[in-house]
Formats: sequence, C-alpha cells, structure tokens
Amino acid sequence: MSGDINRQMSHMSEASSMGSDGNSSEDLEEDNDYYMDNTDDLDLDCPSKADDPEYFEYEPLQLIDAEGMLNEEIETLCTKLKVNPSTAKMLLFGHNWNKEEIIENYQRDPQGFLIESHLASRRKHDKLVGARPTCSVCCRDFTSDSFLSLACGHMFCRECWDMHFQTQIQDGVTTGIECMGKECSILVPEDFVFEVLTQPKLRDKYSKFSFNDLIKSHPRLRFCPGIDCSVIIKAKECKAKKVECQACGAIFCFKCGLNYHAPTDCAVVKKWLTKCEDDSETANYISAHTKDCPRCHVCIEKNGGCNHMQCPSCKCDFCWMCLGDWNNHGSEYYECSRYKENPNIAHESMHVQAREALKKYLFYYGRWENHAKSLQLEELTTDKIQTRTQKKVMNNEGTWIDWQYLLQAAALLKKCRYTLQYTYPYAYYMEKGSRKELFEYQQSQLESEVENLSWKVERAEIVDRGELENQMDIAEKRRQTLLKDFLEV
Amino acid sequence: MSGLPRRIIKETQRLMAEPVSGITAVPDEHNSRYFHVVVAGPSQSPYEGGLFKLELFLPEEYPMSAPKVRFMTKIYHPNIDKLGRICLDILKDKWSPALQIRTVLLSIQALLSAPNPDDPLDNNVADHWKSNEKSAIDQARQWTQTYAKSNMNNH
Ligand SMILES: [Zn+2]
Ligand SMILES: [Zn+2]
Ligand SMILES: [Zn+2]
Ligand SMILES: [Zn+2]
Ligand SMILES: [Zn+2]
Ligand SMILES: [Zn+2]
Repeated sequence: MSGDINRQMSHMSEASSMGSDGNSSEDLEEDNDYYMDNTDDLDLDCPSKADDPEYFEYEPLQLIDAEGMLNEEIETLCTKLKVNPSTAKMLLFGHNWNKEEIIENYQRDPQGFLIESHLASRRKHDKLVGARPTCSVCCRDFTSDSFLSLACGHMFCRECWDMHFQTQIQDGVTTGIECMGKECSILVPEDFVFEVLTQPKLRDKYSKFSFNDLIKSHPRLRFCPGIDCSVIIKAKECKAKKVECQACGAIFCFKCGLNYHAPTDCAVVKKWLTKCEDDSETANYISAHTKDCPRCHVCIEKNGGCNHMQCPSCKCDFCWMCLGDWNNHGSEYYECSRYKENPNIAHESMHVQAREALKKYLFYYGRWENHAKSLQLEELTTDKIQTRTQKKVMNNEGTWIDWQYLLQAAALLKKCRYTLQYTYPYAYYMEKGSRKELFEYQQSQLESEVENLSWKVERAEIVDRGELENQMDIAEKRRQTLLKDFLEV
Repeated sequence: MSGLPRRIIKETQRLMAEPVSGITAVPDEHNSRYFHVVVAGPSQSPYEGGLFKLELFLPEEYPMSAPKVRFMTKIYHPNIDKLGRICLDILKDKWSPALQIRTVLLSIQALLSAPNPDDPLDNNVADHWKSNEKSAIDQARQWTQTYAKSNMNNH
C-alpha cells in the first residue's frame, strides 16, 4: 500500500495502470457464479447454493398471476368441501391458507368448524312480526321481503346493510366486515356484499381491497415493498430470507417485508429500528462529515466509504470510527467493533447506569449509522467505475468483460458492508457470554476485511487484479462464515 | 330539525322518557345530533360525588359509525386522556349499528367504575395506576373534588 499516499482525498483519479493480468474468462465465470445474485435461476443442483446460508427460492408474479394462483386454491377447496367460493375464500383467509388443516377440520365437524370460523351460528333467527316489521337499525318499517340476514339470523333492512357496507368499505374494511348485530362477529362473505351493494364504484374498491387482504394473509405471497412496485413475490416457504425484486431493485426480508436484515432476526431489527427512531434526538450529534486528524489535527473530510483513513497532511493511518491507529485494526485482537461494558455496572447508581446504557447504544448506533453512510458513499464509487469503464471501452482499452471485475468488486463490497451494518443491532441485543464473544470475533474479522476491500476498490486502478479478487474472496468468506453460524431462519 | 333520521328521533325520545340512572343526555336546542351529557361518578369509585360533563355527537353516518364522545370535565383515569378522549372498544372497532347512545353511555359509566390500566390511553396515568394503585386512586379522588364538584362551576 505504499503507492496510496495522497489518494484518500482523490480516489479513482485517472491512472492507466489498470490492466488485465491474464485471468482466463473461465475463472471469471466461476467467480461470477459465486457472488452474483442470480435470483431468477432456481437451479438447486448448483453446489454453492446448497450451503449458501442466504439461499432462498422465490419468483416474481404479476397481479394477474397471483390472482390466478389464489383462485386455483379457492376452487380446490370449493370442490373438496362443496362450499361456495365466497365461503372457501373466507375459510382460507381465516386459516392461513392451510388447505389440509381446513379440509380435515371441516370434514370432522362442518357446522362446528364454520361456527369457529365466524361463518355460521347456533343462534335462532329473528322473527319478523306483522305485515311491516321495524328494522332495528333505522327504526323504519318495511315489508318482510326487504329484510336480509346472515347465518346468525340478525334481520336488518336491505338499505341498512347497504349503508353498513358502504361505511366499512370507505374505511378500507372488506374481508373483515361483520354483521351489524350487537356483539355478533359473524363475517360477511363476498357474495352477500355484492348482492346488496348498490354503488358500482364501491364494488371495485371492495374487490381491490379484499384482494390485497388475501395476498397479505397468504404465507407464501408478499407484495414487493418497493415504491410504486406492483410485483408480488411467491416463495416456497415463509422465511426471513432475502428477496431482491428485479423490477424495482428493492431488497427485503420475505417474512417481515422490512429491508433485508441478516444476521439480525425480524423481531430484533424491528425493535432496533423503533429504538433508533425514538432516540433520534439523542443520537443526532454523531453524524459528522469531517473529523480532525488524531495526530496533526488537520480537518479531514470523508468522501469515500472506506473507514481506513489516511491523513493527507501527516500521512498517518487511522480509523474514522474510533480515531485509533489503523495498524491495530487488522490484527486478531481488533477491538473497534466491540463495546466494552463496565463490569461493575450492576452496583452503580441509577444515574450511572442510565448514562452507561446511553453510551452503549450510541456506540452501536454510531457504527450502524456509519456503515449506512459508507454504503451511500460507495454507491458513488460504483458510478465512477462505470463511467471510467465506459471511457476505457470507447478508447479500445479492453472490452466490457475485461473491466467487469471492478463492478463485481464494488457490488460485493456493498453486499458485505450491508451485512456488516446489520451485525450491530444483533450484537446490541445479544446476551453476554461465549456466543457473543464468537459473534464479536467474527464481526471484527468481517469488519477488517470489508475495510481492506473498500480500500482496494477505491484504489482499484493501482491495485493488482489478482490481489483485489483475492480480497473479494476473503471478505465474502468472512461474511458467509458469520451468517452460517448466526443466521437463524 | 327536518331530515333527522327516524332512528335518532326514536333514540332521543326514549332517552327522555326512560333516562339511564345517573346519566342525563339532552340534545342541543340548535343541533339534534349534539348531546349535552352529564355522568355522575359511580358510587364506590374514586369519581363518586363528581358530576362529569361530556359532549356526544352523532356523525352523518350514524348509526353505521359510532358516536363521537369526549369528556369536558378534567378527569384522572387511565383510559381517558388530557383532551378527554375515551379509549373504549365500542367507540372504535367494536362499534355495531345495533348499539345505541344509551349503550355507549352505560359503557362509559362502567369504565369509571372499573378503570383498565392495561389498555391505556394515557400512559403516565396508567403507569401510575399499575405501580401504585392506591396513590393513583387518591389522585383521581382529588381531581374529582377539584374539577367535578356537583355545583358544576368548574370544568
Ligand atoms: Zn334498516
Ligand atoms: Zn349477526
Ligand atoms: Zn419491486
Ligand atoms: Zn424480517
Ligand atoms: Zn494528520
Ligand atoms: Zn476503529
């Protein structure tokens, strides 16, 4: 790294030493397969996928395909149980789309199961008295044929039902509409709603909302959370695994729909994000774009993702996060990512404990936030690589294929740093003990290799291709090791 | 007032003819959908001896939508917040068009007899209730004396 001097401030400046050193295209393809996300490729036979802790089978569906899939499941149940589609839909919706369980329970005791599912009742039907009975909701009199009831026998006039449905649908309630009766939780099936509902506009709204409800209730379907994205993801099983939407690029957890968060699990990441939001005032001061060099105190601006900094003035190497000497960061005893708790904290006063708790949170939050920022800055690095590659190709200095490894390095860096960012909420909530020690050890290893990779990617033009590819391999191996040991799904 | 739904007319008539004990609900002279309500603090509750003013409004969609009810008199209660809003299931998702104004008022009266700090609207009050019920009840009693004394001069 002797040639790196003065480059901290001007990464990726023009240089012509970037060259292919004769790696065969075969090697390249192998590497490709190893770290590229070929999410459309569901080939199980590939050995690298079998032990990839993040491997997950899923496919994108368009609305119409998802609708077809739901209808198929509904039809199967109709045929099997001899119930109408509205009832089948409500049963599937209410029972997690578990057909086997529904069929078994229904066949054992049809009436009991329908009652339990809020679709039938043992209640005696209301008796309508006189030629023009009174509707108890509107207090007006109608002929008996204007009255309608669900399985529970609560009689109300058609107009009141219509008004009830209108109000509910306006509020976004569809599959959950209940009978108007006091303390009656009988559900209103779709066919009953459509028979009564007079406004065609609300019919459409009902269809749309209830379709959304059905998708959301289905354990193997998820709406892509991407903004304005209409893709529905279909997976084989409901697990907290990574989904990458090819339509909009969103990367999210299939189970909870939040940004993908391995190795942290759904509940913990949710807790963490809520905490960060609640404490955003306290943590505000952390965000800084400039820091002073720990040795010569010159003001340094961070304009790359790498946290291994080199002072442009005195050339000392230091860590952006802790301002410590970088040389300590590469060792087995790397301590920068580990929070050292006060061992006597239990005996301290409430006041000291509160201060310690805040200190601990800020330690983890600072690192979490810093990696998020580095990711943003590294996005710019990718753009630069792209522009420069374009230029090289135009000048006939190699083909796209020759320079592809640079983009692959940038993509891999992003992936590794992303996982690294999500190790911090995991560590924050971890109980003290040997498992935490192992986690922190692997975290520090990943931390150190990610920064090495970032350093090299930012200096890709003067770093030997073989060296860069080796660094990629090491970083990804560290990431995989950590996930294999700690990703629980 | 013309155009008032028959349901509201009927309910109002019945509230006048057979009032709920401990509660008065009188429609406003200019707006038949707006009721001036006074609830007497139930005996053996920290609100005993107090008279609590509430407003009750029947929205356009009533009875498809629940009435809107709010305490006007200050009250120390885990399910009622500083603005007088009430945390009561039948005023929210458990509303049914078959329920009536009188059911709502009876439920509010019951809520005064049995506060439920596990489903709080005001977290501070609820925490107080859970950590030191005796002290919270004292506080509620004190507020009743200060803000809800029967002469109705305060609110
Ligand atoms: Zn009616
Ligand atoms: Zn009913
Ligand atoms: Zn998408
Ligand atoms: Zn998740
Ligand atoms: Zn310096
Ligand atoms: Zn450090």
